[in-house]
Amino acid sequence: MLEIKPIFHALCRSKVGAILLLIQIAITTAIVSNAAFIIQDRISYLSQETGYPEQDIFVFNVMMFGKDVSPSQQYELDEAMLRQIPGVVDAAYSSNTPLSGSGSSSDFSLKPAPEESKSARTSYMFIDEHGINTYGVKLIGGRNYTEDEVIVTDNYDELSKVTVVTKTLLDELFPDGNGLGQTVYFGDIPMKIIGVIDLMKGPWLKDSRPDNVALLPFIKPGTNARFVVRTEPGQRQSVMNRVEEAMLKNYNKRVISRIRGLDDDKESYMAEDTLMMRMLIVLITILVLVTALGIFGLTLFNISKRTKQIGTRRALGARKSAIISYFLVENAMICVVGLVIGVIAAVYLGQLLMQHFSIAQLDISYVLATALAVFVMSLLAVLAPAKRAANISPSIATRTI
Amino acid sequence: MFLHYLDLSWRSFKRTPLVSFLMVLAIAIGIGVTMTSLSVYHMMSADPIPEKSSDLYSVQLQTMDEGRTWWTVDNMPLQLTYQDAVNLNQAKAGGKRVTMVRTGFSVYLDSDKVKPFIGQARLTTPDFFDMFNLSFIYGGVWSEQQEADAAPVVVINKELNDKLFAGENPVGKMVYLDDASYEVIGVIDDWNITTKYYDLNNGAFNKTEQLFLPFSLMKARQLENWGNTNGWKHEKTNTFNDKLNSEMVWLQFWVELKTPAEKQAYQDFLMAYMQEQQKLGRFNREKLTATLRDVNEWMQYNNVVSEDNEILVGLSFMFLAVCLANILGLLLAKFLRRAPEVGVRRALGASKRQIFFQHIVEVAMLGFLGGILGIILAQVGLLGVRQSYSYYQSLATMDLTMLLSAPVIAISTCIIAGLYPAWLVCKTNPAIYLKSQ
Repeated sequence: MLEIKPIFHALCRSKVGAILLLIQIAITTAIVSNAAFIIQDRISYLSQETGYPEQDIFVFNVMMFGKDVSPSQQYELDEAMLRQIPGVVDAAYSSNTPLSGSGSSSDFSLKPAPEESKSARTSYMFIDEHGINTYGVKLIGGRNYTEDEVIVTDNYDELSKVTVVTKTLLDELFPDGNGLGQTVYFGDIPMKIIGVIDLMKGPWLKDSRPDNVALLPFIKPGTNARFVVRTEPGQRQSVMNRVEEAMLKNYNKRVISRIRGLDDDKESYMAEDTLMMRMLIVLITILVLVTALGIFGLTLFNISKRTKQIGTRRALGARKSAIISYFLVENAMICVVGLVIGVIAAVYLGQLLMQHFSIAQLDISYVLATALAVFVMSLLAVLAPAKRAANISPSIATRTI
Repeated sequence: MFLHYLDLSWRSFKRTPLVSFLMVLAIAIGIGVTMTSLSVYHMMSADPIPEKSSDLYSVQLQTMDEGRTWWTVDNMPLQLTYQDAVNLNQAKAGGKRVTMVRTGFSVYLDSDKVKPFIGQARLTTPDFFDMFNLSFIYGGVWSEQQEADAAPVVVINKELNDKLFAGENPVGKMVYLDDASYEVIGVIDDWNITTKYYDLNNGAFNKTEQLFLPFSLMKARQLENWGNTNGWKHEKTNTFNDKLNSEMVWLQFWVELKTPAEKQAYQDFLMAYMQEQQKLGRFNREKLTATLRDVNEWMQYNNVVSEDNEILVGLSFMFLAVCLANILGLLLAKFLRRAPEVGVRRALGASKRQIFFQHIVEVAMLGFLGGILGIILAQVGLLGVRQSYSYYQSLATMDLTMLLSAPVIAISTCIIAGLYPAWLVCKTNPAIYLKSQ
């Protein structure tokens, strides 16, 4: 009933067009499935939870050139002033900005250096007792440090004795779950873990350990400083607009620079991935359109070549539906062969990408879904020209060119 | 004859505008997508200083103890320690050399005309300007003596001179950096490099610095490093001096070596230097390693071209292949439909070669039109890329090479696609068509 055999024979008489279509379908399947896989990977990377209310937090840099005030006292005054601005929830001095791609990291170990022991790669931040509240992260165990535990100094001789760490870091160092209250070593300096934070990403989202963060209650006020401010939802922009003026009013021999939202920093850190995702989306959209256009064009060409035959068939009693199904079946046959080659090519391409680049193993479900989508698309592309073919008048059979 | 064929092609284009337009569009889209990703790739990987990129070498020393690993492929640290950078700079070996580090200041004048702002600075040694081919608009570089004395002098770039001194000759004027005054001794002309190859560790596509000062000021005034500092062991670095004496790596060192013999001599010198240091208790390794990489090797080693971009270039060429398969199909359709006409021409005496050539010209014309339209599409694509991130501003552009290669790629790929249809047409047997006419 589907007349596969005669259609196949007819196809064999004009191989080139069919082969071209087949190549297009195969390459399309290979590219689209791999691109879709990469896109999905980027989307989940770009939309990951960071632990911060990013929309409500902003940071800025201060560079002081005047020498007539003591930095530590000035920063105390600044912090107090910032906290009093209407709309501000909390503000703190912070040694670096999370999610920005710039910060400090070290190994945290179970035994003091140079002894060898279990250790975990950790990014660390110097921050005061307002830090946890300002960053809006969730403390799920233990406690925050007190004001007395924060060391304010102008050298590194003395470092904090306590630390608050993220749950992932705690679990990595103490898989038995008894980490809270234990001591870890930063080089040879012991620190007691007094608090646990649920989720808080470090400066490098692409790091092998983006979730391992330790907060050290330690401030070394110098001429360079960075402040972080959390505002009430919706208030951030208005506070950002006023902060430079307020800071300079407090003390003017300094430069306030790079006032930016936490999400802005994250966005520029991720800019390349966002771009890659967008370019791939554009690429596969155009690719599918071009392939559909190709199928459309080729079918039209086939019809114009076979106008006489179709007319003859119609004159001999073929229904319109038979003509339509002829072209659909013909296309489906090409498409299926193309898809089989395409699926193999997709898997091969995926392996190639995995070998040469840091891309995960292609999930076969993406290939199958793409194959199905390409199949449906090709049938849709054939439908319009096939309907046109069905409308060819039987009388055409009796005419010559 | 060529012009005649071109005329025939144009007539044929006008006779079947829809199919022809579809073909041009397919080429244009293929070229547009390919050129967008290829242009970014081209700008990222372009040689930033072609006139001497093979004479400038970045120096790496294996300073780590035996058994320690780094994240580079060959385990070599990317930067140098202070002691090594200073020692190598002072040694009488190699050609011109430069040791440097990135820093910054709050910049202001003695008047209220300019609001204080943050200026990006580079502490460097005098050979810097000559080595990296910088030209001066006003004044010049500081002397070796000023370098040795940590003289408070500064060279600024044109942009900063425009901002501070309205572009006039500022030599001899004073500028405040943090809380100290420095004498301006020179202004360099615009320095347009897409890749900041001399300091890839601190942002390969960042802007070049605005202020250049003697390297010796760093120690004299305890200036901070605004770039990357990395260590491989726990060291006490509580004071500035601790840091200078530590094994932390945070400085860039370049040397100019003009011949292979000079390079070999410098390699030998580095080995001798390391052996000498070994006696002082450093470089605790069985095998000493020192690496010299020229500008292009250095960019490749630092993976300046992102993986994503390489993937995109690959995928867009595959995309171009799909477009070509599409065109090939359409060309077949178009040419074969013209078989009767060709039959008549053959019967009237046209040779197979002439027919073939005529069709290739037609295809090339389509390719040319597609290439031009493709450049326009690529510009739209690059505009989109530039919107996405500031550092793509200078990367996502088409230089002359790319502008010229777009039509070349378009025409040559089209000719390849057109070979088979043209061959098929010129094989036409005139007899059949003469009969049916």
